[in-house]
Amino acid sequence: MPRWGMIIDLNRCVGCAGCQIACKAENCTPLGVTFSWLDSQEIGTYPNARRVAVPMICMHCEEPECEKICPAGATEKREDGIVTVNPDLCIGCKSCVVACPYGARYMYEKATTYFPSGRTPFEKLFDGRHSAGTVLKCDFCLHRIEEGLRRGLTPGKDREVTPACVINCMAKARYFGDLDDPESEVAQLNSRATVFPLKPECNTRPKVTYGGYLLKK
Amino acid sequence: MSLRKAEKNQQTQADEKWSVSEGTWISSVCSMCYGGCSIKVKVVDGVVRKIEGNSDSPLGNGRLCAKGTSGIMTLYDPSRINYPLKRTNPEKGKGIDPGWERISWDEALDIIAEKMKKIHQDEPRKLFCMGTTTCASMMRNSVRSFTVSFGTPNFFSGGGGLHCGNGAHQVAGQTHASWSIVPDFDYCNYVIYFGASKGHAAGHAGNTNAQLSSDARSRGMKTVVVDPIGFQGAAAKATEWVPIIPGTDTALAIAMVNVLINELGIYDAEFLKYKTNASYLIGPDGKYVRDTASGKPLVWDANAEEPKAYDDPAGDLALEGSYEVQGVKCRPAFELLKEHVRKYTPEKAEEITKVPARTIRRIAREFGEAAQIGSKIVIDGHELPYRPVSTIYFRGAQGHKNSLYACIAIDMLNFVVGAADMPGGTLGFCPAGLGHPETNRPAFYPKAGLDGLLVTGIWMSPHTPYPIREPAQPRTMGLGEMFPFALSSPFMVSSDQEEMWEKIGLPYRPEMILDHGSNPIMSVGNDETVINSVKKIPFIVISELYLNEFTDFADIVLPDTCYLERLESAPNHPPILNHPAGMGRWGWPIRQPVIKPLYERRDFAEVLLELAKRIGISSNYFATLNLMQGIESPYRLEMEGDYTWEEVCDRQLKSHFGEEKGLEWFKKHGLISWPKKAEEVYWRAFTKARAPIYWEFILTAGEKVEPIAQKYGVDFVESYYRPLPEYNPCVSHEVKDPEFDLYGIYYRDIMHTNSFTMQNVWLDEASTRDAYIYYINLNTSTAARKGIKDGDWICLESVKGRKVWGKANLSEAIHPEVLAVAGCTGHWSKDQPIARAKGTFFNALLEIDYEHASPVNLNMDNCVKLKVYPSAPEDKGGVERA
Repeated sequence: MPRWGMIIDLNRCVGCAGCQIACKAENCTPLGVTFSWLDSQEIGTYPNARRVAVPMICMHCEEPECEKICPAGATEKREDGIVTVNPDLCIGCKSCVVACPYGARYMYEKATTYFPSGRTPFEKLFDGRHSAGTVLKCDFCLHRIEEGLRRGLTPGKDREVTPACVINCMAKARYFGDLDDPESEVAQLNSRATVFPLKPECNTRPKVTYGGYLLKK
Repeated sequence: MSLRKAEKNQQTQADEKWSVSEGTWISSVCSMCYGGCSIKVKVVDGVVRKIEGNSDSPLGNGRLCAKGTSGIMTLYDPSRINYPLKRTNPEKGKGIDPGWERISWDEALDIIAEKMKKIHQDEPRKLFCMGTTTCASMMRNSVRSFTVSFGTPNFFSGGGGLHCGNGAHQVAGQTHASWSIVPDFDYCNYVIYFGASKGHAAGHAGNTNAQLSSDARSRGMKTVVVDPIGFQGAAAKATEWVPIIPGTDTALAIAMVNVLINELGIYDAEFLKYKTNASYLIGPDGKYVRDTASGKPLVWDANAEEPKAYDDPAGDLALEGSYEVQGVKCRPAFELLKEHVRKYTPEKAEEITKVPARTIRRIAREFGEAAQIGSKIVIDGHELPYRPVSTIYFRGAQGHKNSLYACIAIDMLNFVVGAADMPGGTLGFCPAGLGHPETNRPAFYPKAGLDGLLVTGIWMSPHTPYPIREPAQPRTMGLGEMFPFALSSPFMVSSDQEEMWEKIGLPYRPEMILDHGSNPIMSVGNDETVINSVKKIPFIVISELYLNEFTDFADIVLPDTCYLERLESAPNHPPILNHPAGMGRWGWPIRQPVIKPLYERRDFAEVLLELAKRIGISSNYFATLNLMQGIESPYRLEMEGDYTWEEVCDRQLKSHFGEEKGLEWFKKHGLISWPKKAEEVYWRAFTKARAPIYWEFILTAGEKVEPIAQKYGVDFVESYYRPLPEYNPCVSHEVKDPEFDLYGIYYRDIMHTNSFTMQNVWLDEASTRDAYIYYINLNTSTAARKGIKDGDWICLESVKGRKVWGKANLSEAIHPEVLAVAGCTGHWSKDQPIARAKGTFFNALLEIDYEHASPVNLNMDNCVKLKVYPSAPEDKGGVERA
């Protein structure tokens, strides 16, 4: 069983928000729901200051706070490590939204559209994709991964079954694959001393890690 | 149990419309900016489901930025124009409803053609055409071709050129035979960016350059970025950010040349002798000493101790010394350069730029040492000079009165160390191509022209940047004849246009605007001036995606197709605009409609063909299309022919790639690609063409411009017409009132292109999450001094009393004397509900007149001195913080 993970190289990232929009297009997430998004922080003081773009996503923690707190058993860390929400079980209590240290969960209160005039033809293609009244979050483009495994392809290597934010990144700053496969790019990069998780003090053991600049605590 | 349920969910998802296996991929080319990256678009049941980069193409290598992917929401935006519209309210003004009435295409074309026919018979120059740089290939290949065939010289691309390119593009053409310049990322070790963001921004080959710059950064390339702001673009990724006062880059660059050649003695003598005019002998009048018989500029053969024509075989060319030739005392141009730059000491430059002299000396030394002058590298079997250093400029450095000299001075650093178009150095975007191996087409190569200087192999307009136009009495609206270094002119919409036209006796006034996608009311300068100017024009036709601030003044509005509904056979041609430089592969993709145009939207290229037919200028139009698109026999468009746009595209493709590879082949395959050669990428090593480091033709142009200017009472400013670059201040630098103590500038955020992407709902969502885009950004210490807190409403007021409002964002990564706003935010059109009232309309602060334009190339000055204070806004131009 693979254990999926991602590494984001902050030195390569140019802060274009392409990951955020690639995710929008892949998953048709509703207005205000961004499974993948771009944060940034400034480090240093003038003139030795810079802004570091920090692409964010669900960290797919090994010890997910969201799973622990979910009263309905809707949130689950799968055997392959992907943290999912089962919309049939989710009761919309928002405990997980509060519990997630990374702000990666969104309560989708009621069905919305981007434009007041109604759904675009694009949005109509995704009928039934997201259930109002439930919590939505990144699932590492699970539909692509599952499709890949069905067809004998390798997520992280084969473009069409790799998460959308990874394949489209204009600076090639994102890497995805099986953390337990020593041959995979992510496993090799993850073994470097300079790779770090966000908010290690939360002891959530994220499977999304970062390289490049050191960030503020 | 829940695992089984999740699996069941997945099984169901596999059959959904949005699943991985559904739909068909169609190859095309993005046009959310002028970068022209190759895309693949997935269509499910006639609906666009996804846009990704095309991994078969070197133009993006399968990667795509936020704008590119967001095109879905531009395609399906309910605010798009879907039908031709006719104005019913004759009164025009800001905020006045035009009273749009839907009409048929036939009626619209009848009205337009009738008007144009009259103008064509009466005085074609009364037509004034516009295009947008967002659709740069279309602007060159269709709109400008149409303009030429109609017989009018009056063309305008709004803020395009005036802000970003009258210096940058013209100088790149004169020195690198290309539209823009970029580091040779594959080999470069040390790069200095002056107000540029190539590899970290939208535009010119954006996706490929982002990968190349990231590779270079990971490899350890040092990036020094000279820029007033450090929170975005290349500066945010820099090894070293060097904050500078806006508009002073020239002084810094000249001081660095001074340090290199006078303090350190670092220069590439071989390169200067044979690849530039550094050895040309200059007489006491500042001009070339020419051979009396041939008229050729002379050089001094140091071995034979005699003068020779520049292109005669010579033992060794002198770069220094004093000589007497044909009874005239003269010195090599390089000697004059050495002497000229001495006055720009690092200490003097520090006073102007506020960059410490020790930093200037250190960077110059690092740059000179990293150049490894004398070293070689073998590429593709050719031994070539290896110069892994680069300096580049763009909008930030060149967008000022001193535009021309800024580009010349910054680029001179490349020439001093021999890094221009050599491995590791500064490359033009693909100025040399030997063609596809099967057809040897399209072929273009820079060559030596008048006085041995570089002439482009291919260019964006029919007139090449060198030799420059002969100065003459102006007869165009933009007065370009009097400003031979200008590409675009503010007089098309300026506050002093009527005064200028009266002075030069312009024998006509514009009567009609035909615009494809440009919104000059937002893109040039303050809207009041542009509105006063366009209001005088009786008939305005605009083909647009959205109703906007400019369509409020139109008489007919045509529903344009967006790039996903459009056909173009040459979206990346000429490659000097947006094809990735460096070794690798050539790519020639087509842009094709991935779905039929929705509603009654119509491709403007088809509209122009139809208008040409109705006006009776088709034969002219076909001739121009043949020329601009490079269509050769037997595929040339016949003068008496009648062609659809598809047929024109088919002929162009067959002309370049052979009978088998027409439009049908390209629709199926998406693109053709072939390997680049070292003779193409590093063309300078393979040609005798020389670049100017002594700009004699600026001096001689000035001598011709001065009497014309004097005759018509237009100011001639001599300090802009010297053969070696000088620092000339901006208007903002001369403001003495201490209340106006900050420089206002705008920046181009990577998420946006010009003004139209502000209406994209996904990009707006991302911009709302961004801490900077919809804010006025200023340094934390400056804000504290003025009592401004993060998130406060503030007012920016110019010396001329123009005001805008916005919310403050405090940053450490900005020069304390500078305020920065993301360009083209702050729409006010009610027809763009997503874009409306987001951010601050910076351009409202910019004056549009001769005083605020370069006296040599008419580039507008884009910085303004401001007074800043907390203020409850009268008309809030921003949004609540997300």
